Amino acid sequence: MGRSQADVMATALVAVLACGAAASGAPAAVMTVLGIALFIAPGYLLGQLLVGTRVTGLERAAVITGLALAIPVLGGLLLYAAGVPLHRPGWLGLLAAVTLVGDLALLVRRRAGQVAPYSWPPTWRVPRWQGAVLFAAAVMIAGGGVGLARLGAAIQPRHGFTQLWLLPQRHNAHVLSIGVSNDEGRTTSYRLVLLRNGRVNTTWDLRLAAGQTWQRSVPLGPATVAARLYRLPDLADPYRYVFTGGGAVAGS
Amino acid sequence: MSIARESPPDAGDDSPTDSQAVQPGLPVSVVALLAATGVLAAATAYTAGRLGHAGAAWADRTYWLGQLLILVPVSARLLGRRAVGASETVTLVVVLTVAEYVVKVCYSPAAFTYADELMHWRTATNIMQTGKLFTANDLLPISPSYPGLEEVSTALASITGLSIFTSGLIVCGVAHLLFVCVLFVLFRRVSGSHRIAGVALFLYASESLFQSFDSMFVYQTLALPFFGLTLLAVCRAAELRAPGGSAGWFTVAALAAYATVATQHVASYLLVATLEVVTLGALLTRDRWLAAWASMLAVLSAAAFGAWMEFVAPSTTAYLQPQIAGALQSFQALLTGRHAGAPPAVSAAYGPPGNQALAALAVVIMSVLVPVGWLQVRRRYPRQPWAVALAIGAVSWYVIVAVRLFVADGSELAGRASTFAFVPVGFIAALALIRLTDNGLRWPIVRADMRQRAPILVAGAVTAALVLVLNGLVNGWPPYWERLPGPYQVAGAERSVGPEQVALAEWALAALGPGNRFATDEGDLPILGSYGDQATVGNDGDLYTSPAVTLPAANLVQAQSIGYVLVDRRLSEMLPASGQYFPVDPNAGTYARPLPLADLIKFDHVPGIARIYDSGNIVVYDLQGSAYYGS
Repeated sequence: MGRSQADVMATALVAVLACGAAASGAPAAVMTVLGIALFIAPGYLLGQLLVGTRVTGLERAAVITGLALAIPVLGGLLLYAAGVPLHRPGWLGLLAAVTLVGDLALLVRRRAGQVAPYSWPPTWRVPRWQGAVLFAAAVMIAGGGVGLARLGAAIQPRHGFTQLWLLPQRHNAHVLSIGVSNDEGRTTSYRLVLLRNGRVNTTWDLRLAAGQTWQRSVPLGPATVAARLYRLPDLADPYRYVFTGGGAVAGS
Repeated sequence: MSIARESPPDAGDDSPTDSQAVQPGLPVSVVALLAATGVLAAATAYTAGRLGHAGAAWADRTYWLGQLLILVPVSARLLGRRAVGASETVTLVVVLTVAEYVVKVCYSPAAFTYADELMHWRTATNIMQTGKLFTANDLLPISPSYPGLEEVSTALASITGLSIFTSGLIVCGVAHLLFVCVLFVLFRRVSGSHRIAGVALFLYASESLFQSFDSMFVYQTLALPFFGLTLLAVCRAAELRAPGGSAGWFTVAALAAYATVATQHVASYLLVATLEVVTLGALLTRDRWLAAWASMLAVLSAAAFGAWMEFVAPSTTAYLQPQIAGALQSFQALLTGRHAGAPPAVSAAYGPPGNQALAALAVVIMSVLVPVGWLQVRRRYPRQPWAVALAIGAVSWYVIVAVRLFVADGSELAGRASTFAFVPVGFIAALALIRLTDNGLRWPIVRADMRQRAPILVAGAVTAALVLVLNGLVNGWPPYWERLPGPYQVAGAERSVGPEQVALAEWALAALGPGNRFATDEGDLPILGSYGDQATVGNDGDLYTSPAVTLPAANLVQAQSIGYVLVDRRLSEMLPASGQYFPVDPNAGTYARPLPLADLIKFDHVPGIARIYDSGNIVVYDLQGSAYYGS
């Protein structure tokens, strides 16, 4: 195969490399590059087979991109109908198979003279250096805008909060799950008081780091159960409170 | 730098191609640099909003300065007197599309926050977790039945290891740009002029959802390029005039049509309708090839869509029927003289007077341009079937205006419809705008001294185009009350999405499991339904607005099998930004003060109720076994 089949070789290589990289647990950056290339490859080949090189430039790019997007849509339906789970192996298999079959079909049709050999007339004019610099600056400035927006979202002031819950466990209704999660943004000290029929049953003093969660299981029993969470040093007013079906008496 | 060089135009191009000398104007690289600066300005405004300046006038002005930096250079180059080459025109259109998309990304740069995006994120997450299509999504039950977008996004996420959010941004960005490029190629083939195509795309960008809904992580974003590619392929198949030579293009059209069907219902409906209009245009111009190809594709698309609705998505009719029936009833009432005019504003969607004035001005401008464009079709393209079809399609402009004026909640319906209606409307208006500017200077009636005033004429055209596009931004999405991101708002849109709600939703999924019937308010619903995978109830206002357990509320709880109530105490502190506290809210637009706190915390005193979760602002009650169920 010479240069006239360069696209066939390149797309087949992408399919093989992508599958190999996935099988060997390649890093995310490698999988991202190969994955995107594998996404484009079937669209390119179908475009070559269906409309060939008769169209150029923007129209050709549009057809290839459109077909590249259509293949997972229609192929995913076929995979689902065949009972193949839509996880990485299934998608890789689909795109790699379409790519290799497309390569084979393109090779055969080219040898039969039904499809023109590979050519992609240059549609990108070599930019003058001033123009290239300005476009590069534009990309960097726009990228800086995205970075600024992400930074703004990350440092946006938020009110901290603490979650308190008390409810029967999903798989054992006779056991209560009680938990506290600290989302105050800093280490916080709490006192958690468990009450049965309004009387103190258990007390826990907790010191939770930001993002830390504390959980316990307690038996439900016949009594009404409530829990009051105090944020230290304030022991006068409950910071949070919850209760099982006993109404406000239990909690307030 | 230019993106593409195209084949020569078919006919009638009065602008130079790349091979011809082009008068130097503002280089497109400078336009791109200005647009990028505009993106940075918008991002700065967004960051200022997040840091507590969302209501500051300077932040708002910075945002609009950014938009003007994007829009003015592009419009001035497209409509200016200095001719633009074909590839430069493409580059200008791409710069506009990409810049506006990046601005949209900067609004929610870390996660999806728009309600519809969250709905589709849930479907995509379900596919990622189960490996199966068509799994239930209580938040938007129709979404899993049209899984195209989620298939592509999860395929990319699965293969690359990127998150669904990042994959979704890539897929939607590519799809949005692809749709614009496909329209450009189609318009260029129809008009024979890259300039008309460029101006048509600029005017298409005046469609109120161009910068938002049409590039969001929603199924329509991916359906649009398939819709456009089908039309382009039909156009190309018919041009070849030989069955053998057209087979490839026809296959492309069929694949794109099937992909449309699997991706979105409305785009599928409108694809069939559009192909029928194209058939009509072909019959009127006696283009038998095009009539044959378009009608064949229309039949194929209709059959595919019918089969999809019958065997895969039978709930489609029930999903769309209420909206279509409502619109038809309003029109029927209008025709029989029983229509009382537009309903009162039920939400904050109508905006302040300045926004409404801009909308009115845009309606006037477009309403003037469309008839002038029709005359242009009659004069320049009487035998061009696509131009005739686009002229027929441009009637939809007046239908949209009527919907907006006379149909209940017509603004939203008109906005949704404009995505498709602006395809022909943008093209026809572009014919008019170009005719009224540079071509107008050639009219014999125009005196020589007027020709010297050409810059004024061009400035007028640029201003008119800018009014249209700015109207799309001002009255599109995000709404004026959430133009900039910022602190939490009750019943807002993106600003109702915060860590406390997300934490509650994730807790609900972990502690309660998926699919529980949850009463909630407008702002919390999409988060609880997406992150929490709960079955949210929207018409639950009675439950929150009564001071005690009432019979209607108990009936509602039992009828809807509501198991849990989410109470957000901030409903008693703020008026709803969107005008309504609940998704279905009969009191929308009439609230003068926040809900009474006593109405919200009454659940603490209802016998048998359990207060199972408390995060300060948000409390969750378990209604099962309570007085609401007669216990």
